[in-house]
Amino acid sequence: MIEIKKLTKYYGKNAAVKNLNFTVNDNEILGFLGPNGAGKSTTMNIITGYLPSTSGTVVIEGLDIAEEPSKVKKMIGFLPEIPPVYMDMKVREYLMFCAGIKGIKGSQKSEQVEIAMDKLKIKEMEKRLIRNLSKGYRQRVGFAQAILGNPKYLILDEPTVGLDPSQVVEVRNLIKSLKKDHTIILSSHILAEIQAICERVVIISHGEIRAVDTIKNLEDSMGSALILNMRITGTKEKVTECIRNVKGVISVNDAAYEDDNTYTYKIEIDKDDVRKDIMAALIKNDFNIDEVSTEKPNLEEVFIKLTSQPPKKKGLKELVEEFESENYSSEEAISSEKEEK
Amino acid sequence: MMLSLYKKEIRSYYTSPFAYVIAALFMLVFTVTFFSNLANLEGTEYRFSFPNIFYNNFFYFIFLIPALTMRIFADERKSGTEVLLMTSPLNVFQIVTAKFLAVSTVFLMMLVLTLFFPLLTLLTGQVMWSSLICGYLGFFLWGLVCIAIGMLMSSFTDSPIIAGILSEGAMIILLFIDNIKNSGFFQSLPKVAKIIGAFSTEERFINFSQGFFGFSDLVFFITTSLLFVGLTIISIEKRRWSRG
Repeated sequence: MIEIKKLTKYYGKNAAVKNLNFTVNDNEILGFLGPNGAGKSTTMNIITGYLPSTSGTVVIEGLDIAEEPSKVKKMIGFLPEIPPVYMDMKVREYLMFCAGIKGIKGSQKSEQVEIAMDKLKIKEMEKRLIRNLSKGYRQRVGFAQAILGNPKYLILDEPTVGLDPSQVVEVRNLIKSLKKDHTIILSSHILAEIQAICERVVIISHGEIRAVDTIKNLEDSMGSALILNMRITGTKEKVTECIRNVKGVISVNDAAYEDDNTYTYKIEIDKDDVRKDIMAALIKNDFNIDEVSTEKPNLEEVFIKLTSQPPKKKGLKELVEEFESENYSSEEAISSEKEEK
Repeated sequence: MMLSLYKKEIRSYYTSPFAYVIAALFMLVFTVTFFSNLANLEGTEYRFSFPNIFYNNFFYFIFLIPALTMRIFADERKSGTEVLLMTSPLNVFQIVTAKFLAVSTVFLMMLVLTLFFPLLTLLTGQVMWSSLICGYLGFFLWGLVCIAIGMLMSSFTDSPIIAGILSEGAMIILLFIDNIKNSGFFQSLPKVAKIIGAFSTEERFINFSQGFFGFSDLVFFITTSLLFVGLTIISIEKRRWSRG
């Protein structure tokens, strides 16, 4: 089990992550989801012991990474954002070296390297220089490095970046198959990927946790609202206004351009009946409805909703100011209380 | 675990043309001075004298060492492989030590190559063994100091070129430290001159090369190298704490 408690990291005055709290249970795949620059990589770097945290702890199987780094690091396999490969080494040579620094003993080294190469399907590349491999293969070599020695915990930072579509599917299947004997944290900004692999997600934005829940719960959290996709011909402003005036419409978003005067609108409504009212209103105003489809809000909507909220606090300076003003106001309150007495 | 890193470091020198080029330059410089030494022969028998050769070479040797050390950490940072080392069970002390020992070994191998000349001399001339052994020992120890300095410089940046330039700068200071001490300005401040003189490596090296094995000189070289190795460890740890 990985427990992350009150994890905070500052780069100078800027907070990369603030007060993260979550746990990763054994044999689960936890998705770590957030827009670019949300603090995903920073968090992963701290969990693996590459960076120290400003405050807070990461406890893995009861051991604190800051206190027992060597023991904890032995339990973790890490694939960073950029695969950490040496360009002037051959694939097999590189993996043997990685096995060596991970402390895998002589006789097991070869065996482990073979297993890792088989799993990632890079056996045929074993004698090639990494410099001459494509990005996808380098990514797989980096992945093979992470699973060497069968570490209990795998931390994968955007593992499918740079792979072609069929490789993406292969790697996803591999990750799912690894779930049997590993606990995995997987970061991504691709929703479909998280949806395909993970049971539980942590959504992070601006360095703060926005949600920790199962995908199903998150989708349900949007309530019974429905999303209508309507392709309508007519002046954009007028159509939007007409729809907005219908009772039961929550919002009209994303008028996507299709053709001259034709747009596809995403309309959020609170119940199914509203659809008829919208259509009636549109027909009444002589707008042409080309297409209508209904969908339940999915993770994408949840994600956009959660991550589009601005951060609560920006930096250390603001925190200190706020802290001071809180103190000040409480002192003020005390003094005013006294005055009242 | 450290052994794997040590082996990989050495291998990385010999799988690129880099180490061969440096070794070749090293030998070239040695050969040229050896022959000029031969050409200036007075008397009938050639005596191989390391101090002479070293003296003519000092300047060239010192600039070859940064070429060996500049990539040690800068390259790892640049290619993102630093993460691999730092998230392995190895700690920073082990990483730095393994790398330092590896470069020292490569340097030692180059030094061993130059033994060719005293051996050649042995056929027809005369070799002063005590001077030779002490000279080589002194040169090796002095090389360790340069390697440790170069390694520290490499830990400051992610560009091998900048690391190289920084190290060359440090080497120049190391080389001219005696001249600085003996300059008119510092001679008027004898106390400061004495402090600067304490860091002089050249004087101590001369002791070695003339066949005098000084225990204090040995300790000086070893502690100075260890000092810079220690500073490298601090520099890397500090970088972990200060930025990503």
